[in-house]
Amino acid sequence: MSSTRQTPSDFLKQIIHRPVVVKLNSGVDYRGVLVCLDGFMNIVLDQTEEYINGQLKAKYGIAFLRGNNVLYISAQKRKA
Amino acid sequence: MQISMASSGPQNPSQIMPLELVDKCIGSKIHIKMKGDKELVGTLLGFDPYVNMVLEDVVVYEISSQGKKVTRLEQILLNGNNIALMIPGGEGPDN
Repeated sequence: MSSTRQTPSDFLKQIIHRPVVVKLNSGVDYRGVLVCLDGFMNIVLDQTEEYINGQLKAKYGIAFLRGNNVLYISAQKRKA
Repeated sequence: MQISMASSGPQNPSQIMPLELVDKCIGSKIHIKMKGDKELVGTLLGFDPYVNMVLEDVVVYEISSQGKKVTRLEQILLNGNNIALMIPGGEGPDN
């Protein structure tokens, strides 16, 4: 089973510099390229798109998301 | 997965710590209820001491008066801050 084990920090190392979706507790989605993040789940995204109720509302270059608002960070599986 | 629920003293080997239960669920499906109106079902890949969780093949259910909104996600890191309940081998919300 340990071969399938993946801790949060393993996951973060794997998804850095890849496109991700970050959902906040408010329900707003941010899509962008994950530039960096820390143990508080503070996140920096590049090419950021803001989706409210699934609709694109705004685009930003680089954006900082404060970690306390983050519900989850989602990524596509890496193709082997 | 067999988890004894016998109430017993600390010497009893069937005693299990909360995070041991979570650890036993790694690799299997779980059902998570969040504070608020969200529930998730997915395969647990790992977790940390804050019980932030890495999940795979996730279905998110947002339950409201208008019905259930379902979202599917391949891999997520779920913030442990809003987790209320974790059910091993979860089927997901019925009805």
